[in-house]
Amino acid sequence: MSEMYGQLSVAVLGGSLKEIKKLTQMALDGGASAQQVLDLGLLPGMDEVGKRFKVGEMFIPEVLLSARTMTAAMELLKPLLAKSEGGGRGTVVIGTVQGDLHNIGKNLVAMMLEGAGFTVVDLGIDVKPQAFLNAVKQHKPKLLGMSALLTTTMPRMGETIHALEEAGVRAQVKVMVGGAPVTADFVAKIRADAYAANAGAAVEVARALVGD
Amino acid sequence: MNSGFKSQVVPSYRLLTDEQIKEIHLASLDILETVGVRVNHEEAVEMLRAAGCRIRPGHIVQMPGWLVGECIRSAPSRITIYNRRGEEAMRLEGRKIHYGLGTDLIKTVDVRTGELRPSNLDDVRNAARVVDYCSDIDFVASSALPHEAQTNMMYIECFRAELENTVKPIFFTAAGREDLAAMIEIAAAVTGGEEALREKPFLINYSEPTAPLVHSYGAVSKVLLCADKGIPICYTPADVMGASAPVSLIGGIVQANAEALSGIVIHQVRGKGSPIISGFFATPMDMLSSVFVYGGPEFRLTHSAYADIYHYYGIPCWGAAGVSDAHGIDQQTAFESALTILMAALDGANLIHDIGYMGAGLIGSPANIVMSNEIIGWVKRMMRGFEITPELMGLDMIRSVGPGGDYLAEEHTLNYYKSELWRPRLSNRDDPDTWLQKGGKTFGQTLVEDTQAILDNHIPEPLSAEVQAKIRAIMAKTEEALKEMYFIA
Repeated sequence: MSEMYGQLSVAVLGGSLKEIKKLTQMALDGGASAQQVLDLGLLPGMDEVGKRFKVGEMFIPEVLLSARTMTAAMELLKPLLAKSEGGGRGTVVIGTVQGDLHNIGKNLVAMMLEGAGFTVVDLGIDVKPQAFLNAVKQHKPKLLGMSALLTTTMPRMGETIHALEEAGVRAQVKVMVGGAPVTADFVAKIRADAYAANAGAAVEVARALVGD
Repeated sequence: MNSGFKSQVVPSYRLLTDEQIKEIHLASLDILETVGVRVNHEEAVEMLRAAGCRIRPGHIVQMPGWLVGECIRSAPSRITIYNRRGEEAMRLEGRKIHYGLGTDLIKTVDVRTGELRPSNLDDVRNAARVVDYCSDIDFVASSALPHEAQTNMMYIECFRAELENTVKPIFFTAAGREDLAAMIEIAAAVTGGEEALREKPFLINYSEPTAPLVHSYGAVSKVLLCADKGIPICYTPADVMGASAPVSLIGGIVQANAEALSGIVIHQVRGKGSPIISGFFATPMDMLSSVFVYGGPEFRLTHSAYADIYHYYGIPCWGAAGVSDAHGIDQQTAFESALTILMAALDGANLIHDIGYMGAGLIGSPANIVMSNEIIGWVKRMMRGFEITPELMGLDMIRSVGPGGDYLAEEHTLNYYKSELWRPRLSNRDDPDTWLQKGGKTFGQTLVEDTQAILDNHIPEPLSAEVQAKIRAIMAKTEEALKEMYFIA
C-alpha cells in the first residue's frame, strides 16, 4: 500500500494530470480511505512541490500543473471525505476587494492554495465587504484571503474586516491579505492576521494560520 | 502559407556600409604599400621579399595590394575549435559569438578577503575553475599573470594550470617561440600527438604586433611557428589612439587594420590556409590619466567597425568585452561590462576575449567572471530574438481566455515558458520583503558568495595520470632548456 501512496505523490509532483484519477481510483479500490489517499499520497506530493518551488527547482507553471493534478484527484475524494474536514486542509474564501479588477495575483494564490490541499471558494474581483461577510457566514472558512493591487483600493480590506467585526464573526476566521502595496504595518493597522509577499509565501502563511 | 515571410525576429546591427568598408580597406592597403611595416625578423623579411614585397632599409616591408588580397582569400573563413576531450566547442565563423577570458592581469581582487593584491598561480587555477563551471563562457585564458612564477616558465605554468582546471578551449599567450613550442608539445600530449592536435585544436595562441606598424621578433617567431604547425593564432594589434595611433577613430581604424592585415600576410605567406583569427583593438588614451581606455564608447565604435570589416573579409574575428576601467566589482564595472558584452554580440564577433577585465587591463577577479557569465546569458537570450508562428501567437487561446481571464494554468504557458524565457542564475527578482528576508544583499555580495561556493564545490574533470606525467616531463625538460634564455619582445 505504501508503494501506492508513493506513486500518488510522484504523480502529483510530476503533474501527471492524465494518470492521477486512475491511480486515485486504484488506491480507493485497494482499500485505502479517502483521507489516507489525501494525507499519505497527495499532500506529501504537494509538500515536495512547495519545497522545490521555494529553492527554485520548480517554476510557477509546473507548480500549477501539480496543483491541477491534485485538484483532479480531489474531485474523486471530496464526496467521500467527512464534511468537517472541508476536503483537506480546510476552506479558504478568497477575492479581490471592491473597486479593484486585478485578478492575476489572486488567481495564482487561489490555485496554489488549492494545490496545497485547501478548498478554495473564489469570489472573483470587485468583491464588496458585504459579499465577503456573506461568504464567511455561508462557507464558515478557516481563512479569508483578500487581494488588492492598488493603494487606492487597499482601504476596502480594512472595511471588510470592520464588517466582520460588526457582524460578530471576526473571531471565527483568520484573515490574510496580499498584493504589491500591502505591508506588515498595514496588516496591523487594519487588524488582519497576516500577509504574504508572494504566492509561494501565501501557502506557507495559510498553513501556519490554520496550525498545520 | 505566409508568402515570403520571415518568422524569426532577431536584433541586428552593423555600423559600416559596404562603401565605407571598401574606403577603409583601400586606405589600409595604401599604408601597407607606401609606408609598410617594420618586421624585426630576418627570415620573415626574406620570405616576404620572395613573395613580392618591396624591402626598404631598416627591415621595412612594403606589401603590394594584390598580395594582401591573396592572403585575405587564403586565410580560412571558418575555424572549428575543440575542447580538451576532442568535442566540438566553438565554430569561429560567420556571426557566431563565443565569450572567454583575457590573459595576463597583474593584480587580482582576492575573492576571500576582498584585497587587491598581486596575481598568483592560484588565481589562474581559480579563473579556470570558474570558467569550467560557467555555462555561458566558452573558452578560458590565464586571466592572471602569476608574479611568483619563474619568468621564462610563467606562461607554461599558466597553460598547465588552465589544462588542469577546465576542459574548455584555451586562449593563451607565450613569451616567444621556445615556450610556445613547449606548450604545443604539452597540448599534443593531451590529444595524443601533433597530428591529432592539428586536426582538433583546443588552443589558440594570442600574439600582437606593436603599434605603430611594427612586428617584433618575438611576435613574428610565434606567428611563423603557429603557421608551420597549423595551431590557430589570434594576431591582433592594440592601438592607443592619440598615442600609438591617430587620435581620430578613422585614423586609428585604418592604421590598426593595416597592422592586422600585414600580420595575415606574414602568416599566410608562411602557411597558406593555416588558421588565423584577426581584427584589432583601437581605443583612446585617456588624456588626463594616460590610461589605455577599455570601457569607453570609442572602443565600441572601432570594435563594431572592424567586426564589419572582418565579416567582409570572411576571416574569423576576435573581440573584447566584459571589460572595465574600474578597480573592483562596482557599478562602473557592471555598466561597462554589460554594455561591452551586448555590443560585441551585436557586432557578431567570433572570439570575444577579456571577460572579467578590470582596471583598464590590470585587474582580475573570479567574481567578476561570474558577473559576466550572468550578463552573457542575458545577452545570448536577447540575441536569440523570437519566432512568429501561429502556435506561439496563440490566437485560439487568447480567444478562449478572453477579457479579464488569466494565462497562469494554460498549457501554452507550461509548454513555452522554458524556451521563451531566460532564467537568470543570480540576478535578484525577489519581491522586496523576500529579498530582505534573504539578507537584503547587493548583487556584488551575491556574486562573491556564489563564486566562493563554486571554488569550494566545483571539481573539474582531471587529466589522466599518464598525461600528467608527460606534462611534468616536458616541463622539466623545458625549464632546463630555457634557463639561460632571454626572450626578445
